[in-house]
Amino acid sequence: MEKKKIWPKGVIPALVTPFTKKFEVDQKALQRLIDYVIENGVTGVVPCGTTGEFVNMTNEERMKVVEATIDHVNGRVPVYAGTGDAGTKKAIEFTKHAEDAGADAALVVSPFYFKPTDKELYEHYVEIADAVNLPIILYNIPQVTGVEIPWWVVEALAEIDNIVGIKDSSGNLPYMMALFEKLYGKISIICGHDEVAMAALAAGADGLILASANLIPDVWKQIYEAVKKGDLEEARRLQRKAQTLVRIVVRQGGGLAVKAGLNMMGLEVGTARRPLMTGGELRYEDEELLRIHLEAFGKLRRKPLEIEVKPGVTVKSEFAGAVPQTPSKISDFMLKTAEAFASPGTADVAHIDIQVGWKTGPVGKTVDEALANPRSGHEPTIVKVGGRQTKPRTLLVPTVTVRTKEQAELVYVHAMSGLAKAIADSVDDGLLPKNALDDLVMIANVFVHPTASNPKRVNINNYKAMRYAIRKALEGRPTLEELMERKESARHPFRYEP
Amino acid sequence: MKKIKKFNLEGIFPALVTPFKDQAEIDEKALRSLINYVIDEGVAGVVPVGTTGEFVYMSNEERKKVLEIVVDEVNARVPVIAGTGASSTRETIELSKHAKDAGADAVLVVSPYYLRPADKGAYQHFYELVQTTDIPIILYNIPQCTGGFISREVVEDLAQLSPIIGLKDSSGHLPYTLELLEMVGDKISILCGHDEVVLPALAAGAKGAILASANVIPDIWIKLHEAVKKGNLKTARKLQMNAQKLARIFCRYGGAVAVKAALKMMGRDVGKTRRPLVSGGILTLETKEEIRMELQRLGKIKLKQAEVKLAPSKVLEERFEDLGVSSKQIKQLKLPVGEASAGERLEKTYVYLLAGPKESPVGYAWSRALANPKSGYEALTAIVEPNLAVKPITLIVPAVEIQNMRQASIVYGPVQSAVGKAVSDTVEEKGFPPKAVHDYAVIVRVFVHPEALNRQLLYANTYDAVKMALLRAFGFWRKE
Repeated sequence: MEKKKIWPKGVIPALVTPFTKKFEVDQKALQRLIDYVIENGVTGVVPCGTTGEFVNMTNEERMKVVEATIDHVNGRVPVYAGTGDAGTKKAIEFTKHAEDAGADAALVVSPFYFKPTDKELYEHYVEIADAVNLPIILYNIPQVTGVEIPWWVVEALAEIDNIVGIKDSSGNLPYMMALFEKLYGKISIICGHDEVAMAALAAGADGLILASANLIPDVWKQIYEAVKKGDLEEARRLQRKAQTLVRIVVRQGGGLAVKAGLNMMGLEVGTARRPLMTGGELRYEDEELLRIHLEAFGKLRRKPLEIEVKPGVTVKSEFAGAVPQTPSKISDFMLKTAEAFASPGTADVAHIDIQVGWKTGPVGKTVDEALANPRSGHEPTIVKVGGRQTKPRTLLVPTVTVRTKEQAELVYVHAMSGLAKAIADSVDDGLLPKNALDDLVMIANVFVHPTASNPKRVNINNYKAMRYAIRKALEGRPTLEELMERKESARHPFRYEP
Repeated sequence: MKKIKKFNLEGIFPALVTPFKDQAEIDEKALRSLINYVIDEGVAGVVPVGTTGEFVYMSNEERKKVLEIVVDEVNARVPVIAGTGASSTRETIELSKHAKDAGADAVLVVSPYYLRPADKGAYQHFYELVQTTDIPIILYNIPQCTGGFISREVVEDLAQLSPIIGLKDSSGHLPYTLELLEMVGDKISILCGHDEVVLPALAAGAKGAILASANVIPDIWIKLHEAVKKGNLKTARKLQMNAQKLARIFCRYGGAVAVKAALKMMGRDVGKTRRPLVSGGILTLETKEEIRMELQRLGKIKLKQAEVKLAPSKVLEERFEDLGVSSKQIKQLKLPVGEASAGERLEKTYVYLLAGPKESPVGYAWSRALANPKSGYEALTAIVEPNLAVKPITLIVPAVEIQNMRQASIVYGPVQSAVGKAVSDTVEEKGFPPKAVHDYAVIVRVFVHPEALNRQLLYANTYDAVKMALLRAFGFWRKE
């Protein structure tokens, strides 16, 4: 068989489709995003893929976005247009359009909703390939389509001249290994599952088409190059570092999560179209965690932050704030409060109510009173690490009555060390101002379920909840606007009968 | 074909729990007593050592011993169907032969699990059992445990063998049940094994049911079976709906753990389940209390009217003194207060509400109530859902002692989210002075009855009461 006329490879972001506040396609934002990823070294872009929410766009919008992408990329890298659809007719229409618009190839997802048999899958792709001269990349993503393109169908389709590759987003490595076994060197085999990207590259994948490559294209490029050089140690290290971030992207909303991340980075792209919404698939806690991991990759810019610790006393700090979460000035420490919940785990979840205030205000007074009059089962304690009090001085209060030794250990040892680390990290990142730590006090009510049993998880969840709670308290979140926007769709998990 | 004594496989059969002492020894006395209880209630037979009987945690010797005790105690009053399934064909045959020798009337044989055979292996498994054992056999489909269905084609073939007299389907997957009724309903008895769908299964033609919950509420299922037989679907529906919540808890939140907890509440101590199943695991403490309330409602245990101290009638302004805000301060500082109630009977909610600037005594009280909680009256912040706290900052303080996790889950659930929603809706409707939204703290004392059952009603009543209390506290701010 002749070598295929194109061979997609490298790192390719599955671009989100930016929307305005009114959920119209935002071309300007699309252009900014394209520039960002190209500047960070990507080897192609995919508009209108799964991450691009193609299924929630009109035909005209899809075509417009493909055209706008080709236009703005302007030959700098190849454009692989997402042109798949449930029905063959529409898929052909989109693919023809992509060809006319000047795309370098089409990424064609398998039919979905009605789940075709292998015969129907085969015919679907044959008809599309026949209708155009454009190179076609098959696209397997069973978690969305409900159907897997069997490897023996891919094997037959690979014989067709203009079928040049397959993107496998299943994350099912045995499936991918079968593709390598049958088709290595015949068509380009591309990994589309961010969590297994490094493993897939090491096993022989030609490239990556990833949702998270919108956010961290540079990291994927380093991983890709490390594997090419045979430096697996380095590739593994980077994959491990990115793992939490990509897990959130893959499992908690795809494009929705990517958009939340890009917005926080200041690359405004709007949010996903309904019915996807933040607080749903991308839980509020995921957004907090995503932010922390973007910070770890230096994706949030450090900016000056003014903190008015008490009226007339303002200290300056520097903080890698997120957009729009972080204001440029924080004031009024009379009584700042917040609440934060962190999972996973059933009995091992953490739920923290926090108060932050200046030492001589109501919060400071309350700390001393509570320490002087401890109530049985709820004995408060000052958070310490290695015998030394943390700064700011922080009171830990058990929310649930402590009745057993095991419970006490979970609260006073494992949750407490989570709190201590969260406080230290919040000082390190610049949010709790280093030169005013003695002026502030905090109170954290710590919920540990009586049947919690996993010390490590209690520790980690309390770390996360405390970290989020400190941020939410200082940044004043949820803001009134967020509260108004989110209250109608709120669903309290314990509101319902078992 | 060998001669096999058959019986009419019809009616309600409890899948007996296996009582243990300290998770170890079989508690023979409790087992015998349980058998007499269900037989007195009128069950058509008993099924020892099934899924509910924790067969998978028992040694073969224990399984045999339990069966022997059951056969002895039943003493031919009703048929005994022995659970003899095992992963391997060899053990299944051994246990089934023993069941025959011990005097069981039939065996209930779960499909092989863990290493799962394809259809060929599954058929052969049962076929070899038929070939080697002279006892009626009931196939047992429970894919949520075994990992797969017994395919309908395999059942069709097995139904041709005369020792195969029935199939228990615990999948709850009605298309499968109906498929079996269509294909083999005239040859073998189809029994329902999923407590949540007993009525539709019987109505569709199932001959009976083998149920975990028939340890606890055999009477309801027996009545339901009779009603369906008489064509009285209205009565049957009523009975099923009455049992539904308990059935759901048993099926989804713990099986044997839940059944054992229920029996204990009824004064019938059958010990605990063996590890790794533990109470507080799949059966949460919250759900366990729900079982208690359901058993009370169904009259299976005496309604223990919880002592509820309704807060003594007091002037509203005096209701916050224990939190550190005196009526004098409230009057002097003109702090907004409001009270309201909504609903009736067990779901009636009372709300006493106080608000004030964060720098006022209300701010201190807010902070203090969290920093220094009182057991049973722990305060919690108002949220619409986790990670969505409301403004103005609002604290909920229970006015009735919280005695168990279920009650806690009611406060930390419908009540908490209702307070959160009422406060945030009031903000939207401009029911607070604009400054108050950021600068005030709100404290809401909420009374809900510990025995309150209906969470939707509680939510609605709490919401109404908080909104009314807020209106009374802030209703006239525009005029000032």
